Amino acid sequence: MDIVKGKISKKSLMELRKKVLEDWPTGAEVNLQEGVKYQLSLPENMNFAKALAQADAEKKVLLQPRAGVALVEEHIRLLKYLEPECDLLPTTIDAYTRQNRYEEAQRGIDKSQAAGQSLLNGFPAVNHGIKKCKMLVESLEKPVEVRHGTPDARLLAEITLAAGFSSFEGGGISYNIPYTKKVPLEKSIAYWQYIDRLSGYYEDEGVSINREPFGPLSGTLVPPFISHSIAIIEGLLALEQGVRSITLGYGQAGNLIQDVAAIISLRELADEYFHQSGYDDYALSTVFHQWMGGFPEDESKAYGVISWGAVAAALSKATKVIVKTPHEAMGIPTKEANRQGLICTRQVVSMLADQEMPQTQQLLDEVALIKRETRCVIDKVFELGGDCLALGAVQAFKAGVLDVPFAPSTANPGRLMPVRDNHGAIRLLDRGGVPISDDIYEIHKELIQERAKEEGREPGFQMVIDDIYAISKGKLVGRGNYKAKTKK
Amino acid sequence: MKTATMILGVIGSDCHAVGNKILERVFSDAGFKVINLGVMVSQDEYIDAAIETGAEVIMVSSLYGHGEIDCQGFRERCVERGLHRVIIYVGGNLVIGKTPREQVIAKFEQMGYDRVFMPDVDLESVIELLREDIKKQRLGNESISKY
Repeated sequence: MDIVKGKISKKSLMELRKKVLEDWPTGAEVNLQEGVKYQLSLPENMNFAKALAQADAEKKVLLQPRAGVALVEEHIRLLKYLEPECDLLPTTIDAYTRQNRYEEAQRGIDKSQAAGQSLLNGFPAVNHGIKKCKMLVESLEKPVEVRHGTPDARLLAEITLAAGFSSFEGGGISYNIPYTKKVPLEKSIAYWQYIDRLSGYYEDEGVSINREPFGPLSGTLVPPFISHSIAIIEGLLALEQGVRSITLGYGQAGNLIQDVAAIISLRELADEYFHQSGYDDYALSTVFHQWMGGFPEDESKAYGVISWGAVAAALSKATKVIVKTPHEAMGIPTKEANRQGLICTRQVVSMLADQEMPQTQQLLDEVALIKRETRCVIDKVFELGGDCLALGAVQAFKAGVLDVPFAPSTANPGRLMPVRDNHGAIRLLDRGGVPISDDIYEIHKELIQERAKEEGREPGFQMVIDDIYAISKGKLVGRGNYKAKTKK
Repeated sequence: MKTATMILGVIGSDCHAVGNKILERVFSDAGFKVINLGVMVSQDEYIDAAIETGAEVIMVSSLYGHGEIDCQGFRERCVERGLHRVIIYVGGNLVIGKTPREQVIAKFEQMGYDRVFMPDVDLESVIELLREDIKKQRLGNESISKY
């Protein structure tokens, strides 16, 4: 399918659906009317959008883990084990399903059954089909979101939404650029217009489906204004198709001021652009992702990283926080480690519930800077797209106006290079083709120069590599050997 | 030493790109000719590239947990397609769940990988081992690969 200008009509949605449902035999089980009826039959506490709206009103920070295994019974056991320690549940989808490789997912299910343990890194919801997904939803007491990384998640959305999942992560940019190699952006954006329209259909029928563009992108030194620009564009694309519950995300950078400023500016900028585009009847929330980069292997150190993420989430007043585990460095965690990450985060978030981040000049300046940077980018994307923001986004990647550091997609320009400043905030070493104004770029250069002077070396790629490994080695700023030499 | 060509890539449906970009840089700086296939590389794509470029080394990464499934049968596939002497290294988060590293190494060595690395390995030591292995392989009389 191709990008549609404006809202997809109900008639063309119904036509497109026929083909999508033929992709795998379980698609035949989907009936949209029954899906709506089933969603309406579920108790209110199972609706994700309601849980978020309530938390937002009460200024609470909700906790959500990541979790998914190959087999249904095993996955139910896992989620029930995590449920008491979190507020919102996930179902993380395996990597084969994310690439629509359902036959390989089936082999993974069969091998897992034979091995008596999961050999997939997530839950293959399409292969399991509606009946088993409903079984999962019905054994839980908290709302469940589909979390994945799928450029073409149309069938996955059809099956999971009809089976009672009420939140769906992803977007045409955020589930393409960081997750694929060769899927054309114009294709993935079109697929996600379909998913937003399908969610919009449920919304029209009285079932609010929460949509969450994936904030952290590559999870590696992403400057806040880059992820903000993409999050807001995907938010607007979702609104256009009738979605009304939107959660915009951001991945922890590590510098507290920048992180708190990021969540504040994300919300304010989103409201600004949404209103400006004529939308007033939406529910906006935010999600803060604990550190998405490399973790220390030592579990005590990992708890330190998790706690610091919990601090930033709590002080920034994000609506929810996605929690990491002490096994992060090793890959997929045990259920025990997953729960420990939640318990650790809960402790910190609860202790900070009654504390406020002081509105210092430094914080206000950072908020203002992120806003100016984001506007430079989004306004250019609007300009490129004319009357179609979706096409504007495609053009923007081609022109280098949007650029995600360390992303695998060939559609990504990969010219922008970030690095930390002397205090660990993420700045631009090279802006590439991103239209940051010269005066803002100058600010970045000065801040990086301050670090270079401190370390007695020129800013360059080695600094970037040092930054990437820094947290797993116990620091935020990758000083290399330079500082150690001068201080000893 | 004549410049050795290496095929670099992340196997299977894995899209972890950060380490791949760093490996490309570090191995190039160390003097290898690096053909980087990027993320989501199939077994046959590595082999095609190795045949095309006469590469002596295939460097496989896997970070997402499906390594065990994706890496199975790779050595046999290489032999089947005429690559009898290629050195294959594998590294990353190779299995699901916390498994003792000795077990992981044994499992992948059994599969025919010449050397198996964990994510925390020092890249300088990998480069040293690689230089030695290439030297031995070129001498030819004692193949470091058992195939």
